[in-house]
Amino acid sequence: MKIGLFVPCYVDALFPQVGVASYNLLRYLGVDVEYPKGQTCCGQPMANGGFESQAAPLAQKMEELFQGFDYVVAPSVSCTAFIRHHYPSLLDHECKMAGKCMDIVEFLHDIVKPTAPLGSFPHRVSIHNSCHGVRELGLSSPSEEHIPQFNKIRDLLQLKEGIEIYEPERKDECCGFGGLFCVEESAVSTRMGLDKVRRHAATGAEFITGADCSCLMHQSAIARKNGIQIEFKHVAEILAAGL
Amino acid sequence: MSKHSKKAKAFLKDAGYSEWHDATFWAVREKRDNMSHGLPEWEQLREKASQIKLHTLSHLDQYLEQFASQAEKNGTIVHWAADAAEFNQIVFEILSSHGVKKIVKSKSMLTEECGMNPYLESKGIEVVETDLGERIIQLLGQAPSHIVMPAVHLTPDQVGELFEREGISDEIGNHDPTYLTYRARLSLRNEFLTAGAGMTGANFGIAATGDIVVCTNEGNADMSTSCPKLHIAALGLEKVIPDYDSLAVFQRLLCRSATGQPTTSYTSHFRKARPGAEPMHIILVDNGRSQWIGNQQHWKTLKCIRCGSCMNTCPVYRRSGGYSYSYFIPGPVGVNLGMLRDPRAHSGNVSACTLCKSCQCVCPVKIDLGEQIYQWRQQLPEWGTEPASKRMLCKGMSTVFNHPLLYKTATGVLPKKPFHSLKLDKDE
Amino acid sequence: MSRKEEILGRIRAVIRERYDKPSLDDLQATVFPDPLAAFIAASQTAGSKVVELATGADINETVRGLFPEAGVIASNLPEISIATLNPDTVGSAQELNGTDVGIIRGSFGVAENGCIWIPQAMKEKAVCFISENLVILLSKTEIVNNMHEAYRRVDLGDYGYGTFISGPSKTADIAQTLVMGAQAARSVTVVLV
Repeated sequence: MKIGLFVPCYVDALFPQVGVASYNLLRYLGVDVEYPKGQTCCGQPMANGGFESQAAPLAQKMEELFQGFDYVVAPSVSCTAFIRHHYPSLLDHECKMAGKCMDIVEFLHDIVKPTAPLGSFPHRVSIHNSCHGVRELGLSSPSEEHIPQFNKIRDLLQLKEGIEIYEPERKDECCGFGGLFCVEESAVSTRMGLDKVRRHAATGAEFITGADCSCLMHQSAIARKNGIQIEFKHVAEILAAGL
Repeated sequence: MSKHSKKAKAFLKDAGYSEWHDATFWAVREKRDNMSHGLPEWEQLREKASQIKLHTLSHLDQYLEQFASQAEKNGTIVHWAADAAEFNQIVFEILSSHGVKKIVKSKSMLTEECGMNPYLESKGIEVVETDLGERIIQLLGQAPSHIVMPAVHLTPDQVGELFEREGISDEIGNHDPTYLTYRARLSLRNEFLTAGAGMTGANFGIAATGDIVVCTNEGNADMSTSCPKLHIAALGLEKVIPDYDSLAVFQRLLCRSATGQPTTSYTSHFRKARPGAEPMHIILVDNGRSQWIGNQQHWKTLKCIRCGSCMNTCPVYRRSGGYSYSYFIPGPVGVNLGMLRDPRAHSGNVSACTLCKSCQCVCPVKIDLGEQIYQWRQQLPEWGTEPASKRMLCKGMSTVFNHPLLYKTATGVLPKKPFHSLKLDKDE
Repeated sequence: MSRKEEILGRIRAVIRERYDKPSLDDLQATVFPDPLAAFIAASQTAGSKVVELATGADINETVRGLFPEAGVIASNLPEISIATLNPDTVGSAQELNGTDVGIIRGSFGVAENGCIWIPQAMKEKAVCFISENLVILLSKTEIVNNMHEAYRRVDLGDYGYGTFISGPSKTADIAQTLVMGAQAARSVTVVLV
């Protein structure tokens, strides 16, 4: 089984350590992972902003880049959700990416299924349930729906010894990032982010963790600006810590 | 900045008020959650409701005919209005032919959509809204800020002062909601007794029986139709559903979704006029709907049963308020309905969405509201309403992303070494 | 061409795909081990008072006991002898204004939400709403589980009007504060017989 690692543009540029953690974690778990060169962006920012046509050539490129892989794994729920749900309509031929691209949390949880402890992380963490992870990829049961409760991020984090896991009040309300939403609707976006960070901080957590760096990036900027002492780590970073 | 974002920014300036607004609607969302999580068949009900709506809308010609012919068999007079102007005219003609000078009416988003009240008032007819919230905003000359709780944006002091000015309450300074509600009751009671006609909207029209079904907590639709000799009911074409079995599904979902109660206090069926009263009039209003049904991308928005739950859950609505949207229905479904109505006028609302999709998960008829907003954003260039700055920004981004060399150069100047330039253990 | 034909024609012209009507047979609706107990609880949550008519007790004395101060009592029920107004014989609905207690009969109750089906059984249905206090007589054997069962029994009768009532008229339109007694009955008492 050959796995291609997709490190989306903003993770590549701003959170390279998340790419490294993802790569190391997959390798540690015995996954045959490769990072094909020449990756940029999946096209989501432009499409969500209303310019889907600009995403089409990028979709085509992604399709070619990951041709030879059984799965494409990305440390980003929103990019994965975009690829899964929108690529088929962007391409004028059959889309392979949509069926084989997975977020790293769902890939580990559903395919690799690790059960042995993954070292320790003796800290209090608050899970940030990103909207696209919850409502588009099904990483956890949406709070709105009456279905059995589950949370794949929590399941994985429980493999770390000594970890204390929390979720904020309003456990899957949006943090307000929303791609270009944070530019176009900056006032609402900032308020949403501040409300979110405060609720995470109220759990007493030292870290906010989640499966999408963009939500974490938005919140960390707001936390910094408002003097809220809390750190941010992608789930992959916590899982890979100390391995 | 979009039109919505400018108004939202102004709304958020008052931190205390906007926090209260957010908390108030979140509390309604939580009440709704208590209801849905208490009903094991909740998700099954939503799925059935969605399917019934898809079926009904795609057979609307047949169900409308059935509804109208049943209603006529029951002795009611059925009118068909092509648009708002025709609707208003029909109402006026019915009223003037009966010499009616004053009407009492229950809440109707349709009469709001058609601008009926100002029209009738310009013709010398007094219109009295009898839902308490609607009455309050009517007296203030405001539009509703929410479709189910139209006056929730006001504080008790604002309502109390209004009632003092209007002579509705006589204890100056008593702004207790219980007292104010009681004073409004007395004032409205007089209106019910003296009005010449009662008007209601409709939550549902039942094709199999010709019933108009109206759900209220206040009983004001029943009060409006119990004393006056004339009842006019107005409904949008999409309100018709097949039968009582279908109605049971919607009745169970509507109030639980809207206010978090298991039912409204009154679920009233009107089939014909009271003994001794004039025949009942039913007005079926198109006003765009027959075209929207043909809109391949957006016709499913017509499934909406107007519960307002998408507003309550929307993180943007809760933090920007109903008046930050340009269409009279705010929130996720309002963004969509506004675009169906007039995309040029209401493009400024499509920015009011993070695509979090919470709305689609609460929607009792499973409209893909967030996905629809995404689609509307793609369509803005059709009307030239896409924001120029956003277009430029996206063009810039896509140029960088489509040219790996440019991308390498751009990411090379950042404080951290980008991932793509790192050496991975396998490479060694 | 009439407006009706024009509108229906427009709809016919644009509908592309016709969706089937779903079957509701597989809907697993909530049923209760003790529907009467569930009905009583739901009624109380909706703000109703529920009393059981004691064996051998007189309904008139019971209602009188509940509303000792009541001056105007309106009812057309044959077993009600304390009525001072009859909604069948009043000259107009307006004459019922000022009713302290209205007494009506419900056909059946719904356990899941405390609704009681009231088909119009009097000339002036105003009595159901205009009365300050509403008393609904209901047979305790007539309880269904949910609205699906309820709608299989709904019958509007000759008057062509009926309503499900659950609790008193209420509103939360001023600052989300729940207030009983908006425009219609300020209290509802369900007397189980």
